Amino acid sequence: MNVELLLQALREVLSAPSLDAEYLPIDETCIAVPAECLRRAVDVLVGRFRVTHLSTITAEDTGLEIVLLYHFWDRRGLTLRTSLPRDGPHIASLARIIPGAIFYEQEVAEMLGVVFDGHPVAASLLLPDDWEGPPPLRRPTGDDV
Amino acid sequence: MSRITIPIGPQHPALKEPLSFLLTVEGERIVESALRIGYVHRGLERLFQDRSYVQNVHIAERVCGICSHIHTTAYCQGVEALLGLEVPRRALYVRTLLCELERIHSHLLWLGVLAEHIGFTTVFMYAWRDREIVLDIMEDLSGGRVAHAVNAIGGVRIDIENDHIPAIHARLDELERQMEMFLGVIQHERTFQARTRGVGCLTQEQVQRYCVVGPVARASGVAMDIRRDQPYAVYDELSFRVITADEGDVWARTMVRALEIVESMGMCRQLLDKLPEGPLASRAPRRVPAGLVISRCEAPRGELLYVIRSDGSDRPARVKIRTPTLPTLATLKDQLRGVHTADVPTILAGVDLCIACADR
Repeated sequence: MNVELLLQALREVLSAPSLDAEYLPIDETCIAVPAECLRRAVDVLVGRFRVTHLSTITAEDTGLEIVLLYHFWDRRGLTLRTSLPRDGPHIASLARIIPGAIFYEQEVAEMLGVVFDGHPVAASLLLPDDWEGPPPLRRPTGDDV
Repeated sequence: MSRITIPIGPQHPALKEPLSFLLTVEGERIVESALRIGYVHRGLERLFQDRSYVQNVHIAERVCGICSHIHTTAYCQGVEALLGLEVPRRALYVRTLLCELERIHSHLLWLGVLAEHIGFTTVFMYAWRDREIVLDIMEDLSGGRVAHAVNAIGGVRIDIENDHIPAIHARLDELERQMEMFLGVIQHERTFQARTRGVGCLTQEQVQRYCVVGPVARASGVAMDIRRDQPYAVYDELSFRVITADEGDVWARTMVRALEIVESMGMCRQLLDKLPEGPLASRAPRRVPAGLVISRCEAPRGELLYVIRSDGSDRPARVKIRTPTLPTLATLKDQLRGVHTADVPTILAGVDLCIACADR
């Protein structure tokens, strides 16, 4: 995987000339993409660059926004970073392009309350069926504190 | 023919850990299956946020009851990268040695479980007896059979005495002889072949679609191994083969794991022979600079991922763990479709699930 070529392709497809890569420790590249472009970015990764291995999706509630990190791997790491608002976060599901994403999206959905549009499964993965209360990895704010 | 739905689990004699299946059968054939996990979810990722970086080493050790050392390796390696800390080479050698001993122990444990599931009790007994050889080595080194508490941020907590090394080699000799016997059984024993050949097949394409890792992926011809492809610790100083097979069935997974044990023994010998002199740990500060790190290791079941984000304090803002079992679980629906009910235990054992790991 050539990061420069990938960046060029992404800039072109997403019409985002300012798109840039950040380099993280342990040979990892991180590219921030807007949430509405994520699916198209993954299409480029899978279709053109044959990067099909999605290691997992990390989600974090920073208190200001919900950050999603899509960790891909092709003999080195590539993370696509995107962020969603804390109120009513939703993003396109990758389940059709990468079936391996189904469990990862299910987990993010139940732990942080992110809705994945077009996700095939509605059930929870880890939490009990009778779980009540806010998604457990959301940071308490305002009245909850 | 009428359809019947059979619940298996979460508590069931054929399951080693709690998970639940709903199998819909027509006669003896499975037509549909549904899977549910989460019965041993302990909220560990949340717990990481409430503990200091040092305390979290002990939590990482307890994510899995089989491969505890690889979890602390991935965690410590991530924190060390955030700190920009150089770990002494002797420490990395000890760390890698434990990783490979753990792989041998995990694969032998698995071989026993598979043998028991196919009704081959003799191999089950022998595999678990011979697993004691490697458990004894680890106990002598660290004091623990499965929870070793060897890793620390910046290095390791144990040393290997020079006069102890010949004894480890002698035990590895003993295990090597036993592995020849196991490989003979796997390759030539008719019962073994009959129960595992053509069972639980996954194609290379299915493996890639579900992002499967580790021996299950390698047994379907996907040569992915973090130790070779993105070397960590001292794997770049060792010579070893990445074992693959093309069949993609339970038999191929058995061969891959058995040959990996042989490779791991070779790596242990190289590590003992090349063990450099020097300190065992670098001093690590309590506070970790703000940043993000993605730490990957090759656990016995495949790619293990620790994502750690630091906000500059003495405890992590977020720790995400992805264990190799989770993607493998996604393939079970495909593997179970259309098979004979008698093959269900073989298929479940064949992929080497670690549910406590997957549930976290």
